[in-house]
Amino acid sequence: MSFDFALAWENLPALLAGAVTTLSLTFPVMALAALISLPMVLARLSKNRLLSGFVVLYVALFRGAPSLILLYLIYNGMAQMDAVRDGPFWFLFSSAYFCAVVGFTLNHSSYVIEILAGGLRAVPAGLVEAAQALSLTPRQVFLRVKLPLAIRYGLKAYQNEVLIFMKSTSAVSAITLVDLMAVANEVFYFTYDPFTPLLSAAAIYWAMTNILRLGFEMIDRRLNHYLHIAGLSDRAGASAAAAEIPVRQNGLTRMFARLRV
Amino acid sequence: MLELISFGEKGYGWLLVQGAWITLQLSFVGFAAALVLGVLIAMATLERRGLRWMAWRVYASVFMGVPSLLVIFLLFFGGAEIVRGLLAPFGIKAKLDMTPFTAGAIGLAIVYSAYMAELVRGAIQNVPKGQLESAAALCIPRTHIWTKVILPQAARLALPGLVNLWIILLKDTALVSLVGLNDIIAQAKIAAGSTKQPFVFYTAAAVFFILFGAVTVRYSRYLRERLERGQRTAQT
Repeated sequence: MSFDFALAWENLPALLAGAVTTLSLTFPVMALAALISLPMVLARLSKNRLLSGFVVLYVALFRGAPSLILLYLIYNGMAQMDAVRDGPFWFLFSSAYFCAVVGFTLNHSSYVIEILAGGLRAVPAGLVEAAQALSLTPRQVFLRVKLPLAIRYGLKAYQNEVLIFMKSTSAVSAITLVDLMAVANEVFYFTYDPFTPLLSAAAIYWAMTNILRLGFEMIDRRLNHYLHIAGLSDRAGASAAAAEIPVRQNGLTRMFARLRV
Repeated sequence: MLELISFGEKGYGWLLVQGAWITLQLSFVGFAAALVLGVLIAMATLERRGLRWMAWRVYASVFMGVPSLLVIFLLFFGGAEIVRGLLAPFGIKAKLDMTPFTAGAIGLAIVYSAYMAELVRGAIQNVPKGQLESAAALCIPRTHIWTKVILPQAARLALPGLVNLWIILLKDTALVSLVGLNDIIAQAKIAAGSTKQPFVFYTAAAVFFILFGAVTVRYSRYLRERLERGQRTAQT
């Protein structure tokens, strides 16, 4: 059990190239999922039973299946169908990258749809009524009132989903795409040292998820600015609560009393 | 088409069922281990400061920041060596073979225990403080306070999150096929390879995950009702 710094340094360019593949998968999928989830959410919330039923089915199917299966289905399954192979889009489906983007978009977008739909449902009715009373058009009510609030409500859940999704892209090596995980594995097969390449890859993944998380936190601070005003932050609340507790209690009670309830 | 997934001579039905059984075993073992580990971590890190809290932050940051596939690979290829390294100072020479199942179960348990601990700690903190104070006033022993008062009530609060984690973990077991476990995905892959009908078998495997996830969510209702017995609900 040892970490070989020379080996790690030697393979760093290859690992970083793998990380670029990971990111070049993550961001297009995020963009595509964001693009298709908005109309899908509108369909989900529409009064048309057929439309909303379609979206419910879409979410159930693509959220319930592991993304690995979706990758196999699209990459190996589609190739088996003559209609696809002789069709005009074969040049797309024969590329592992394209299949990975499609598979992850199906999976990721179904989560985004649910998050956005939940956010829209959480917008207080009074706000919508007030907007209507001010004779805003339905379009304005949606774009200026409901959507901005829904995005704020759903931001934390979206952040979690994006981080989970980015980590799940590590399965793409199964369909021959060489991402960070695949590069680390290749190095392992050459050197038979599992720790150096895998731990280096772990460090890069860790850095990527944390940079993404910090980015989300910046967006959160900007959008939910009003929640971060000094004095309302939970740290201030916790110390205020801690000041009130009587001193002589047994350990467990003290432990609890110090916590925010 | 349906003949392929039937249980007859030509069908691959039994193969898929065997794979499904392994997937279920793995997810149950992984989930149970993650739950136990998560509860223990949650109980140890109720205080938001000190060495334990710092150690927990490192643990959470590492295992929430790294793909579970990577942890599983690391354990599968290096797990035996890690155990040897850990036991060597005590003079124990252990020889241990890492099977895909153990690597998968331990990996999932470690990764999900971080999420579990976060969830359970939140639930423990949301148990009304009066419960603990009255238990302490009655001089109930500490272990009983935990096992009879706090944790049962925390279980009720944590249940929705636990169901959610269960579904995510169930789907993550798919990754263990990449280190060679003969789970449903691996079996579907074998069947797909020998029949040249990948679409049928991968769809069957996907349907298994979707259906099993849906069924467990549905039946978690009974668990919820049991945990919520005696709870007063608002009449509207």
